[in-house]
Amino acid sequence: MVEPALRLAALTKRFGALIAVDAIDLAVAQGEFVTLLGPSGCGKTTTLNMIAGFITPDAGSIRLHGKAVEPLPPFRRDLGLVFQDYALFPHMTVAENVGFGLRMRRVPRGEIAQRVAQALDLVQLTGLDQRRPSQLSGGQRQRVALARALVIQPAMLLLDEPLSNLDLKLREEMRMEISALQQRLGIATVFVTHDQAEALTMSDRIAVMRQGRIEQIGTPNDIYERPTTRFVAGFIGTANLIESREGVIVIRPERLKLCPPGQEPPDVRCWPARVERVVYLGARLELRLRIADSTQLLAETVNDGGATWSTGDMATAWFRPEDAWVVAKE
Amino acid sequence: MKRLASWSVKRPAPWSVKRPAPWSALKLLVACIYLFMLGPILITAAVAFNQDNRSYFPPRGFSLRWWYAAFGPQWMQPLVFSLELATLVALISAAAGVPLAFAFQRYNFPGKSLVRAITLGPLILPSLVTGIALLQFLSLVGLGRWMGFWALLIGHVVICLPFSVRTVAISLAAMPGNLEPAAASLGATPLAVLRHVTLPLAIPGMFAGMIFAFIHSFDDVNLSLFIARPGERPLTVAILSFLEFGFAPTLAAVSILSMLIPLALVALFGRFVGIGEFLYQEAGNG
Repeated sequence: MVEPALRLAALTKRFGALIAVDAIDLAVAQGEFVTLLGPSGCGKTTTLNMIAGFITPDAGSIRLHGKAVEPLPPFRRDLGLVFQDYALFPHMTVAENVGFGLRMRRVPRGEIAQRVAQALDLVQLTGLDQRRPSQLSGGQRQRVALARALVIQPAMLLLDEPLSNLDLKLREEMRMEISALQQRLGIATVFVTHDQAEALTMSDRIAVMRQGRIEQIGTPNDIYERPTTRFVAGFIGTANLIESREGVIVIRPERLKLCPPGQEPPDVRCWPARVERVVYLGARLELRLRIADSTQLLAETVNDGGATWSTGDMATAWFRPEDAWVVAKE
Repeated sequence: MKRLASWSVKRPAPWSVKRPAPWSALKLLVACIYLFMLGPILITAAVAFNQDNRSYFPPRGFSLRWWYAAFGPQWMQPLVFSLELATLVALISAAAGVPLAFAFQRYNFPGKSLVRAITLGPLILPSLVTGIALLQFLSLVGLGRWMGFWALLIGHVVICLPFSVRTVAISLAAMPGNLEPAAASLGATPLAVLRHVTLPLAIPGMFAGMIFAFIHSFDDVNLSLFIARPGERPLTVAILSFLEFGFAPTLAAVSILSMLIPLALVALFGRFVGIGEFLYQEAGNG
């Protein structure tokens, strides 16, 4: 059996009475991109810091490529880290920043120069090697941080919210770029974020964390299409949560259909609904509905020139049974 | 600017809509303030060129003889003494200030607040008091013979150390929190982190502290007055005692000279080391 790049077993950290990370298990395969996703305070950053060696776990084990690393200090763990604020050394040039890890490993000067040039090439920063971090844009700093982490050919890559300081357009570009780079190098990666769009677009698997535990782990598709808990359903994307006898029915707004009363297909679940508000989003329309027991629902339709709705209309809201699922009430 | 803008959105700021005083009035006010600050210095400089043995302004005639006198042994001896003293004080303050700032900024230890209060105390204590205390203390423990250079060195380090501790602490506090972890993750041992990351980034603070210490020592008269002795007098004390005989143009020349030295020092160091942020609060950009 091939050892996973990273295996966490019953990893636990307490801060006083607070259990920041509560006995989590996680395996990251070679070349896999796993995202720890959750609201702030869910324990994702603490987990990352334990993997990196900045925080000592209270219990549990961390294995990198089969080797237990808990006794090793951060500088012996051979990990590539990218921080939210990039943490570039302001007194060093781009080349010195990128070459720092190699210098610490006592790689010969000539080889450092060569590998730094390669790394800068990889992140498309060729020619900027003599700049200072203060002379770079946010996106460029991000690339330098990435090159600095990758040039040491680490056992794995840890990314701590590396995109949250960039503006939206750049963030979307960098998502694609980091993903492509990670796949090309085939390096196992743990990515920490609170941004569900980043998690969905970049990950092989997502671990949704809440209160120190992994609430659900699966592919982006699994997590979005079949959340197993009410929290995951509400945290990833938008979801209509309808209380019913058997539990909470979860239905995504884009799967909730609307039709004039009485025209719904047979064998579907439906409710009479009143259109309370129509939000025009250009390509899509957002319909806010209220059903009998005063529950508010959200339906999203494509603005394809079909049926139009306006405030006050009476309608039937329905969905195909395979588009909804039931989670526990908690 | 951003903060100002959001503030004025929340609260209507009548002064920004209808400005009671036009810009020209503000400019005039600023000009007056500068004139008030710089005027006496310019007058002093002019007085030093008088031909007569009196301090006329505007100067009568033109002569450099007061400048010759200022460069004579009577003034050169205390000037060199002051420079030597201030240089040593700056070096010792930096050497002691860096570890102290580290200890205060990074570690918790029993009695930390007490040690910090003692170190930084002279910043708020009048140096006159420090001077009297040092004088009393040295006489009481029978070290009266230390009066002069050694006592001045001790006293000046006591009053200059807070500056260097503060500036180094500022540069340590301004360091982004992830730099050291980042270096560690790249394979730097704690010692290598200190050598390659922490210390290089603390150096501007250390130099700024040295300059503050130098200037503070060079300018001090309050403390020096009590513990100087003939032959071992800093320039400030020499000027003060000369004043008892009245203000001569020589003094004007000496004063200008003693003002130019720290000024030149700041200009020189400011060129090579980024100390601007400590002197003028320009935000450093990492």
